[in-house]
Amino acid sequence: MIRFPNTLAFRLTFWYTLIVIILITVAFSASYFLLKKTLDQSMEQNLIEDIGEFQLLYQKKGLDGVKREINRDMKSDGEEELFFQLFDKDGMRIYSSDLSSWGFLPDNQELIKQVFSTEELIFQSMRIPGEEYEVKAVYGLIAPDTLIYFGESTEETENIITLLSNVFIVILIIVIPLASVLGWVMAGRAVKGIKEVSRIASEIEKGKLEQRVLVPAQGDEITQLVDTFNAMLDRIWVLISEMKEMTDSIAHDLRSPLARIRVISESVLSNENTPPTFRSAASDTIEECDRLSQMINSILDVAEAEAGALQVTKQKVNISQLVQDACELFEEVAEQKGIKLTCRLQKDCYIYGNIQELQRMLANLLDNAIKYTLANGQVSVALTCNRQNIEIMVLDTGVGIPESDQARVFDRFFRCDQSRTHDGFGLGLSYSRAVAHSHGGDIELSSSLEKGSCFIIKLPIT
Amino acid sequence: MRILLIEDDQVIASFIAKGLKEAGYCVDHVDDGLEGLDRALNNGYDLGVVDIMLPGLDGLSIIERMRDKKIETPVIILSARRSIDDRVKGLKSGGDDYLIKPFSFSELLARMHAHLRRFNTAAESSSCLTIHDLSLDLLSRTATREGKKIDLQPKEFALLEYLMRNSGNIVSKTMIMERVWNYNFDPQTNLVEARISRLREKVDKNFSESLIHTIRGLGYVFEKKK
Repeated sequence: MIRFPNTLAFRLTFWYTLIVIILITVAFSASYFLLKKTLDQSMEQNLIEDIGEFQLLYQKKGLDGVKREINRDMKSDGEEELFFQLFDKDGMRIYSSDLSSWGFLPDNQELIKQVFSTEELIFQSMRIPGEEYEVKAVYGLIAPDTLIYFGESTEETENIITLLSNVFIVILIIVIPLASVLGWVMAGRAVKGIKEVSRIASEIEKGKLEQRVLVPAQGDEITQLVDTFNAMLDRIWVLISEMKEMTDSIAHDLRSPLARIRVISESVLSNENTPPTFRSAASDTIEECDRLSQMINSILDVAEAEAGALQVTKQKVNISQLVQDACELFEEVAEQKGIKLTCRLQKDCYIYGNIQELQRMLANLLDNAIKYTLANGQVSVALTCNRQNIEIMVLDTGVGIPESDQARVFDRFFRCDQSRTHDGFGLGLSYSRAVAHSHGGDIELSSSLEKGSCFIIKLPIT
Repeated sequence: MRILLIEDDQVIASFIAKGLKEAGYCVDHVDDGLEGLDRALNNGYDLGVVDIMLPGLDGLSIIERMRDKKIETPVIILSARRSIDDRVKGLKSGGDDYLIKPFSFSELLARMHAHLRRFNTAAESSSCLTIHDLSLDLLSRTATREGKKIDLQPKEFALLEYLMRNSGNIVSKTMIMERVWNYNFDPQTNLVEARISRLREKVDKNFSESLIHTIRGLGYVFEKKK
């Protein structure tokens, strides 16, 4: 089956062309019927006038005069065009023109009787076998005891109708492509503004939030759309700047006192006169400072990654290299824990993204996988890519995640029961998911308790 | 060695100044951006430690103006902002390193050592790096000790090279993550410890003298102990 492009411009063009065709067809049909009717009427009128002339001729010159006139008419118009027959009151034929070119010509005794009794004209349209054109005929009295039955071929009128039909077909052949092209151009103009809006929107999705759509001159619906769209962007811009300012001030306001506490503890620790009890208190303080600052960092990181696509300019990243580096980085830790770490990577996969966020996302997943897998277990990483997507799978034979928790592992600060014995804030997976989202993708999880977990990251290439 | 410290937080500044003096440096401390710029442009310092948010003039502008005037003194940026954007901006403005508050003093000291050394020996580009009886052939990427070839993976070689280039100076775990793996965050797992212990097995284990030493809580140092 042919698939038509599902665009507004195509649909507009299609409907426009269809409507033009329908309108032309209606106009031609109307003129066809009107013309045919007019031609029929004028032919009937001619027949009536002819009968009138024959009546006069009969009164002045008798039957012979009529016969002579018939012969003259036959000669001037041709015997294929005309026929004449005369009948008396009993329905007997008393005269006939040369009918050799007419083949079988029926006469209708019923009609003849009717005409003699009512003294009115009766018209007849008929098709005669062997004749190309329709024949229009009339029965009428030229004298109380003489009936004329004559008819002529409609060749001339039918020729006009045929000409009209041909003109119609030619016009249609010219108009269909013309209407399509014209429709396409007009539809293109109409949707140009919409296309512009959608182009800018897709650029913004890639992180260029400062972009605006140029407002077209005419004040139509598209202008309204553009205005609304730009206003929306302004609003988002303000919200993001506010959020950035807020996180900045959190960063500053929390980190500076924390830095001071750490600095003071460190100077206590480095002072040789500090008694041992104070020394251990100072070193505990330093440890807690570091923990707290890491926690603040993680919270801000998740927030930043969630707003991510809009802030950091993306670049082309060799994701194959990135995954390989991550595997290589964790190799040693896995080996020390007695875990077999394997990586199967498709080479030369690229995506547009933020290297550091992607590094962290991978590190978080590998870290988790190794953390929750026991000795002699396995962790395997696989990367595949095609023209649209890359897919990274991190599979472990670890403790698994209970089904009741699976929906919540990506939530901030959520920690499973078995994870509480490990370090961390419950932010690693929320961060990873935020990064996947900011790159236009997602993370899926499937896991069964005691058997292991499988995380699959799918990211679009651009 | 003269260090210029531009930091408006008095507690942090006095701690850094005291620590650096104990470590044998001369320290000039200013708490205002404009005054800091004036000092940086007119006095020859060996290194600058600059906060970003400052009264008068912000840290990044100070560095930009220094670089405009072709003053190539290494500068370590000290900042409470830690987003990737901020780090990139900091390094783009001409800063040589970016340290996030809260930081440990030993981390700052280690980074300062690295930059002072690098700045003074920037011309060093030999294809061979030899310390004591261990030498690295930087072209063929091979290591030999006491004439015996040591098999190293590419990252292990890079790690060893980094340690050797900073021999005698402590390098912290975060410095190693940044320089060897290009990871600007701490994955919070004992990744570096694991790597170092594997490297030790190869480089130190079968030899009489150890060259790679752990300094508890601070990092690692490559040197021949006297």
